[in-house]
Amino acid sequence: MQQIYDDIRGDFRYDNELNGCLNCGICTATCPAAHFYDYSPREIVQLLWTENVEQIYDAMQEKIWACAQCMTCAARCPFKNSPGGLVAIMREVAIKHEMQSAKDVLRPFGRVMLKLITTGNQLSPDMIQPDHFPDWGPNIQKVEGDLSVLRKAIPVKTLQTVETAWEVSLKTSVEMYTIWEMTGVLKSLELMDENLFDVIEDFIDEKREEYDEWLEEQEDDD
Amino acid sequence: MKPTDQNGSPDAGIAGHGSFFQETNLSREEAVRATDWVRKHVDRRTVDLGERMDDVREHMYELEKEGEIIIHRITDGHEPMTVKTLFGWEKKIPTKQLWHHKSCGQCGNIPGYPTSLLWFMNEFGFVPGKDYLDETDQTSCTAWNYHGSGIGNVESLSAVFLRNFHQAYVSGKQHGHELGHFFPLVHCGTSFGNYKEVRKYLIESAALREKVTKILGKLGRLVDGKLVIPEEIIHYSEWVHVMRNRIASELQKIDVSNIRATAHVACHYYKMVHEDAVYDPEVLGGNRTAIITSVAQALGAQVIDYSTWYDCCGFGFRHIISEREFTRSFTMDRKIRVAREEANADVMLANDTGCVTTMDKNQWIGKAHDQDFSIPIVADVQFAALACGADPFKIVQLQWHASPCEDLVEKMGISWSEAKKNFQEYLKEVEKGNIEYLYNPELAYGGQA
Ligand code: SF4
Ligand code: SF4
Repeated sequence: MQQIYDDIRGDFRYDNELNGCLNCGICTATCPAAHFYDYSPREIVQLLWTENVEQIYDAMQEKIWACAQCMTCAARCPFKNSPGGLVAIMREVAIKHEMQSAKDVLRPFGRVMLKLITTGNQLSPDMIQPDHFPDWGPNIQKVEGDLSVLRKAIPVKTLQTVETAWEVSLKTSVEMYTIWEMTGVLKSLELMDENLFDVIEDFIDEKREEYDEWLEEQEDDD
Repeated sequence: MKPTDQNGSPDAGIAGHGSFFQETNLSREEAVRATDWVRKHVDRRTVDLGERMDDVREHMYELEKEGEIIIHRITDGHEPMTVKTLFGWEKKIPTKQLWHHKSCGQCGNIPGYPTSLLWFMNEFGFVPGKDYLDETDQTSCTAWNYHGSGIGNVESLSAVFLRNFHQAYVSGKQHGHELGHFFPLVHCGTSFGNYKEVRKYLIESAALREKVTKILGKLGRLVDGKLVIPEEIIHYSEWVHVMRNRIASELQKIDVSNIRATAHVACHYYKMVHEDAVYDPEVLGGNRTAIITSVAQALGAQVIDYSTWYDCCGFGFRHIISEREFTRSFTMDRKIRVAREEANADVMLANDTGCVTTMDKNQWIGKAHDQDFSIPIVADVQFAALACGADPFKIVQLQWHASPCEDLVEKMGISWSEAKKNFQEYLKEVEKGNIEYLYNPELAYGGQA
């Protein structure tokens, strides 16, 4: 538990995000998550500030995932604290320590992570369909028709895709995989969801091979 | 001790509003003088903090002098315009030679805002490949994932930022221009906030710079062994803001004075690294960030304020995917209903992908919860394009929106049914492969215009 707290406090952003607290409650008054959850940014700040290690641990079991990361609190706090920024650090630490809360909360987000980590894009046209989001209603497009044709009717070449928001070149994707690897993003993912990690690793390997083949072809052409 | 007024009466209220309250009887001039300071310093929000707070750009110039980084500068070729930020600092907004940094939320979902933006550039006579560039060599900023899940970290976000903006810096070469010819124009509010945040960390932390220099080196994305960092981070709505008078005077075709517009500005536009957001004393007295409102005003629409202007849309990054009760309830209760009831708005204008998606897509299910309120949600640039005569389907791409855009379009005097009929005819052409482009598609792959 102490280690978790030390990791939070050891983050280089920590001093930037926490300066003390006037207890004014402005952050909580303007926080969207505080309207709907048992959550208060002021509480997060005061827990960290007063160094109550056990309660910090408890807050990380659930509460921190309520934050919508809108940073309204940061813009409003007269003391220049950023409760939302502190939550971001706490989430990273929760993942590093393989906390169950992080695993549970992030499971339904997996599909989007898969998309992002493999393609560098997030919400793609083939995901924004009534069968994925039934509560968005039957008419989330105003014109009937085949998705790929509708996308081709967008007069910008890079947007005429279906599986990504825009077309990303192979070289770009491969560069992004290098960043994931070198910065430990893939490692965090493995800690969180091993199955998802396996799927992503296979995908990345395949793309890299494809890229190597392409490079070889280029050399042969020269 | 009970509070008393100056005469010792015990009815004095704590806040001084008891029965003892006396009018000051100041003349109008005296009253103005008395409140002048407050108006100047508080209402305008150009708080004195400006002097006490470091401007990250100053530190960037120092680092450049010391030979640590290369600054991607805004030059005369970018034809910049200068605006003021929240702290009264000056910010240069390039108007030309722009590298479109797309948004991974918007392009899949609200493609009408990149297309409207490119359409405007063409309408101003900009030459693709020279005055702007859209290409496949870019990733998203990946901050959506980070804010949603916590998977990702400052290093990965910084490396992605530097990789994408290195590409912007060198992208002109392939098209016969100098390094730095194209300046990045960021479409997404979250990318804009995130990039500014990591830029600040990079400038402050030598350790972070050292780590990412290794990564960028491995990717072959250093210039003379140095990191390339742009002088300013620019959001597309800032471009629209500085171009608003030209849009209204040179291109506007439709009178929109009968349209009641409300604004919702993305949190990550003006609450993250808020010192950099654009304010203008001529726009809502400088009490709100100027973008969106300024364009609606320039076009002559009636801009109506509402009490939850400051609230976020409820997107929540993770929430819109996996906790939609929160997203839906927040957007319906705090935004849509208020804009409807208080402002009786014909449209809500926004400047970010997440906000447009959240407020657009959650209206249908609202009915099941006795929240039968609806309002069209579009980006500022889409509204401006409509006012300038752009096709509601082919250019503004309103077919992807779930909210009732039909009413807005009709109220602007454009026939929705006719435009839809034309578009359906066009879809048949698309199936045959006869596709219309805003510019030569080869450009996206590095080919010549
Ligand atoms: S960032 Fe989180 S804590 Fe801050 S106001 Fe937004 S939801 Fe609340
Ligand atoms: S707004 Fe700042 S000072 Fe006020 S309670 Fe929140 S964290 Fe503390």
